[in-house]
Amino acid sequence: MAILEVEHICKSFNRTEVLKDISFSLEKGQAVSIIGSSGSGKTTLLRCLNFLETPDKGIIRVGGETLFDAADPATKAESAIRKKRLHFGLVFQSFNLFPQYTALENVMLARELLAKEQADYKTKKKEIQEEIQELAKTLLSQMGLENRMHSYPHQLSGGQCQRVAIARALALRPDILCFDEPTSALDPELTGEVLRVIKELADKNTTMVIVTHEMAFARDVANHVIFMDDGAIIEQGSPTQVFESPAEERTRQFLSRYTQG
Amino acid sequence: MKKLIVFMLTLTMALSLAACGNSAGSGEKDDSASDTASESDIAYVKEKGTLVVGITDFAPMDYKDGNDEWIGFDADMAKAFAESIGVDVEFVEIDWDNKIMELDGKTIDCVWNGMTLTDEVTSAMECSNAYCNNAQVVVVPSDVADKYQDVDSLSDLTFAVEAGSAGEKEISALDLEYTAVKAQADALMEVAAGTSDAAVIDSLMAAAMVGDGTGYEDLTYTCGLNSEEYGVGFRKGSDFAEELNKFFKESYADGSMEECAEKYGVQAAIIEQ
Amino acid sequence: MEQILEQMPIVIEALNVGFLQTLKLFFVTLVGAFPLGLIIAFGSMSHFRPLSYFCKFLVWIIRGTPLMIQLLIIYYFPGLVLHNPIWGGGESGRFLAASFSFILNYACYFSEIYRGGIQGVPIGQEEAGLVLGMTKSQIFFKVTLLQMIKRIVPPMSNEIITLVKDTSLARIIALQEIIWAGQAFMKGSHGISGAIWPLFFTAVYYLIFNGILTLLLGRLEKKLDYFR
Repeated sequence: MAILEVEHICKSFNRTEVLKDISFSLEKGQAVSIIGSSGSGKTTLLRCLNFLETPDKGIIRVGGETLFDAADPATKAESAIRKKRLHFGLVFQSFNLFPQYTALENVMLARELLAKEQADYKTKKKEIQEEIQELAKTLLSQMGLENRMHSYPHQLSGGQCQRVAIARALALRPDILCFDEPTSALDPELTGEVLRVIKELADKNTTMVIVTHEMAFARDVANHVIFMDDGAIIEQGSPTQVFESPAEERTRQFLSRYTQG
Repeated sequence: MKKLIVFMLTLTMALSLAACGNSAGSGEKDDSASDTASESDIAYVKEKGTLVVGITDFAPMDYKDGNDEWIGFDADMAKAFAESIGVDVEFVEIDWDNKIMELDGKTIDCVWNGMTLTDEVTSAMECSNAYCNNAQVVVVPSDVADKYQDVDSLSDLTFAVEAGSAGEKEISALDLEYTAVKAQADALMEVAAGTSDAAVIDSLMAAAMVGDGTGYEDLTYTCGLNSEEYGVGFRKGSDFAEELNKFFKESYADGSMEECAEKYGVQAAIIEQ
Repeated sequence: MEQILEQMPIVIEALNVGFLQTLKLFFVTLVGAFPLGLIIAFGSMSHFRPLSYFCKFLVWIIRGTPLMIQLLIIYYFPGLVLHNPIWGGGESGRFLAASFSFILNYACYFSEIYRGGIQGVPIGQEEAGLVLGMTKSQIFFKVTLLQMIKRIVPPMSNEIITLVKDTSLARIIALQEIIWAGQAFMKGSHGISGAIWPLFFTAVYYLIFNGILTLLLGRLEKKLDYFR
């Protein structure tokens, strides 16, 4: 059964339709790449999945549970949304690390706040703290940052910041990890290190939705590719199918612009 | 645009309301104050239990002794008067410019501070009979004092006078050049600093503040410009003025006023009641 | 010179009393205006239109008129127009009215600084908090607040130092702060009359106090220097 099912999502800002009837699904342990030119609605789609935007129509299901149904007001309650967000992790284009915390603190903060809501937090405070710190250190080591744990964001390079941000998202163990153009804000020589860790995650069967402009990477990392244009899904399929024998004219045009450019 | 117009209208209304309020404070004061005052200002103060006396630090009329207690000819008389009607007395230092506002706003109940009875004062306050003589005198540096012994010799001087004071009135009546400053003390400072040639202040104050043994040893006072009288001011329409006149008569008759005046060296100036 | 030395203890004692009043007004204003400013800031950013219009109108009135006029109106208006002198004529009433005016005035200035500070924190910070499952209040206290404070410390320092000097305006309603105390010796007080130097000497008090404040605020700014 698919872990993520998105059905008929529509979203307008004022009178501009940004998402037109978007539907797709994703199997557990798989990665999907979403490609398309700027303004095609890719980022808005990710923001809808993370409840930063509310779709006008459509349904979002995770593991068979309906998290959002535009037709059912009960699923829109502000208090419920907070817990639902935890099914998803989001890595931003501009990192959005908290500048006043070290890399380690950035990774630990959200988990600590959640732990405080547990009933047994007070009695087991020390153990829980240590557990969270252990997890954070492990994640940062996986990202190759064992030496930068106590650095503040302004002391890190863009690539290092983005790797901290990935560790921060992973710390909550989301079902689905979303990337919003994770390398677009980086200098070209720094994109490699970030793409490498995302690839490693894919190899470990992390369920991911990746919006990217790096075509070679999109093809390499994903089990499934979606091409969006003007707010709609034009074409989707396996990487080989979409990149080598696209069925749609618009997909061909887009790919040729990118492979030449 | 519509919102802006509504906004401006609201503002205009608010401002005109405030303006109306102000004119009510001064112009229409007569009836509004007499509403309450004719019901008896004395009754109002008796109910409060305290007569609040507006003063400034002004030796020898109102000033503090070593124990932080207000004394002086005016202060002592005010204490005696309050006692005679059976209320406590509280002295409050005010900004002299705001004395009418303080009275009308009921933050004080009277002005008892060597106040010269000018037309402005008598028209805005209910005043007692005059109880003390005073004069406006010219203060100049001692070394040039010889040259300025009469009014005719003053024409080439620039003066510093307290804004709104009797001194300012005299100087502008003589058509002399002057700068209005905030207080009589500021006028003296102007002369001491050489920024003005001369000042015009009360003779009682001049006697206490310039010449040998004072802070302004190099200054002296020469000719007097007028003679004038001190009175006590109450809210317009107040029944206190009449009551105080009675008190003045009694205390002049039994000699207690003169006794008090002698204590502060102003016995020569008090007026027969 | 000898005379000044003789008068010095008396003058210092009187100036201390005046300066105590200055300090009292200063601290009461800060304690009142810090939270009130935050309330006005949130009010003017509110999505509830009447509230935000009201707050913006208030800020416009208060920032658009001199503090001295506000003091006069707030102190004298109730008695003159409403015939109800709510503040009372004594020293404590004057202090109360002065505190009210200063808190209102400074809260309006602070509110604009807060608003700049809050709106200056990138929206991405809040979004990052949201996707990490934080509540709005967790985001404010754990993420936004410190960044906001860092942004507002320099403009706030300016206002605080201006406040120290602005307290002298309260003598328009005869609050006896340090300049009033210094001026008293010109016309005569405590047996000293015609002395000008005490007035100028009050500047030393302001200088020293502002020096200490500048030092403390500079230290705070430095403390927040560890992040950007």
